[in-house]
Amino acid sequence: MFIQQLINGLALGAVYALIALGYTMVYGILQLINFAHGEVYMLGAYLGIIVLGVLTSLGLTAYSLPLSLLLTMLLSMAFCAAYGAVIERIAYRPLRNASKLAPLISAVGMSIILQNFVMLAQGKEYKNLPPLLPSEGFSFFGANVAPVQIFILGASILIMVGLHFFVEKTRLGKAMRATSQDRIMAGLVGININQVISVTFMIGSSLAAVAGVMVTLYYGVVHFFMGYLAGIKAFTAAVLGGIGSIPGAMLGGFMLGLIENFGASYISSVYKDAFAFFVLIITLIIRPAGLLGEKAVDKV
Amino acid sequence: MKKVLCMLVMAAFFGCAYQDENVIRIGAAGPMTGDQSKMGIDLRNGVELAVQEWNEKGGVLGKQIQLVPGDDQADPKQAVSIANKFINQKVNAVVGHWNSNCSINASTYYNTANIVSISPASTNPRLTRQGYKTVFRVCGTDDQQGGVAAEFVLRTMKPKRVAVIHDNTTYGKGLADFFKQVIEKKTQVVYYDGIQTKDPDYKAVLTLIKEKKPDVYFFGGVYPEAGRLVRQAKEVGMNISMVTGDGVYDPTFINIAGKSAEGTYVTFGKDPSGLPTSKAFNEKYGKKYGAPGPYSVYAYDAANIILTAFQKTGTTDGLTVADYISKNAFTGAFGDISFDKNGDVTRAPYVVWKVTNGTFVEVK
Repeated sequence: MFIQQLINGLALGAVYALIALGYTMVYGILQLINFAHGEVYMLGAYLGIIVLGVLTSLGLTAYSLPLSLLLTMLLSMAFCAAYGAVIERIAYRPLRNASKLAPLISAVGMSIILQNFVMLAQGKEYKNLPPLLPSEGFSFFGANVAPVQIFILGASILIMVGLHFFVEKTRLGKAMRATSQDRIMAGLVGININQVISVTFMIGSSLAAVAGVMVTLYYGVVHFFMGYLAGIKAFTAAVLGGIGSIPGAMLGGFMLGLIENFGASYISSVYKDAFAFFVLIITLIIRPAGLLGEKAVDKV
Repeated sequence: MKKVLCMLVMAAFFGCAYQDENVIRIGAAGPMTGDQSKMGIDLRNGVELAVQEWNEKGGVLGKQIQLVPGDDQADPKQAVSIANKFINQKVNAVVGHWNSNCSINASTYYNTANIVSISPASTNPRLTRQGYKTVFRVCGTDDQQGGVAAEFVLRTMKPKRVAVIHDNTTYGKGLADFFKQVIEKKTQVVYYDGIQTKDPDYKAVLTLIKEKKPDVYFFGGVYPEAGRLVRQAKEVGMNISMVTGDGVYDPTFINIAGKSAEGTYVTFGKDPSGLPTSKAFNEKYGKKYGAPGPYSVYAYDAANIILTAFQKTGTTDGLTVADYISKNAFTGAFGDISFDKNGDVTRAPYVVWKVTNGTFVEVK
């Protein structure tokens, strides 16, 4: 059972990690906690279910499942990236030089708007998708590893490695790092700050879209309220790993998934959410900057 | 200009405070937003239909009837503020709430204000056992329901090992406890714990239950969780039936769970579709709102009982009306209804339904 819970936890953790990356990247650049991020993930999940529904009725899922999954993923990513860029443009950019509280409130407002928009556009009901991938997987030390779990783990690790290379090796990645270190200075040396911030939002949102599509495949159910809890959990993961740190968000996400699964199975499932927050509190007492976070240094 | 503005402000004030004394107000309370919103809206529609029919016949006590909806969001704290809102608006009687914890919390306020309240769906026994004279329900109770479910499981499945899960709410945990009380006298309960509502992932707890090798598992809770639970149970390789209660009796459950819902047993009221009154209700409701929900007819009956009692007693005074309701029999769309001294219905209410080919079918 240990192996089974480990795999369940890793699959759940991969989803948290992908959402947490969006929180941490935005925080790294703007010191803003983007509370609307959980809703972008919810939008991604809805797009996933809509696109997969259309593809199924066109017969593409029966023809080639990998191709239709890839197509769904890309469409959902593109759509959510656009959402991310627009949210940044209308809700945060006008407030960039306001006090730190203003964009935070704007973020909460954006979250409420998106939730209610989806509720009105798509209805209050749960939307469901019949399982596309078989639930019977292969045996691994007595545990059943479902194909969807392999898909989630594989795709998220691939994306995280890709993100790491993007941030470390490319020009735009360098510009992002420079902006996160000092926004004004980066602007002075000729970096287009607005473009960098837009790209950050777009990348973060498309990662949330991937998480949304994965969850649609994994649980098969979407609901307009699903972004709230997932957003809070992913935020916890980001803080646990050290907010602002990209490897920290990945580590935090996987840790949170594992803690929740082992806590729920070995102690009690009623307190599943409580374990995550308990570990967060302990971590913050011992290491206030999070596991991989750097101590905040006053910029002079 | 200032004067006009001042008058407008004052008019707005008095407009709000002014209560039209020439209408009878019926409150309809339930979760109308959030993940259980379908149930609250089903309930409101049922009451609305009854109110509309009475108004077409000229209202009651020479007055028109007005529906006052209240959204408690399935949250007991919100239910209290809805109760206070109703009392401030001088609502004459209430149909609601849907969730047991909401009904129980609100009932104290309705009782103190002498307002008759009839819950169409709250099954936790405590609601009517608080000694309140004005509190009724037109559905069964969880001790009856848990017993029916447990006896059905013992009789038809003869399980050696049983797992029990609940959603940690007044309704879900209460129902699971009544089921457990009966079943553990005859067989072994190998797992008993709660899960969290809103949580999308139940794989951890299901993997654990699978290890305990139960023959059947019971869930006390509502359809959003039940749908995800039964779906994920099949995914972790549990090929045993789920048995659950009236909170799951809704097509949405099958919609969420898809094929995994097949073979799930649910306790609910008898199928009323044979009754001519029920047919008439379904037609009228269907024309206006689409297919009736499981509790629409209960809400419709509850509203009719209240309005009939108003008419027969010639007053809207809570205690007089409550006294009339508790002593008389009524004919509803769902059949004849009369109440015992607590305010519970006297008819034996529960039978077992099984999900077969995507619909609920009564197990004979």
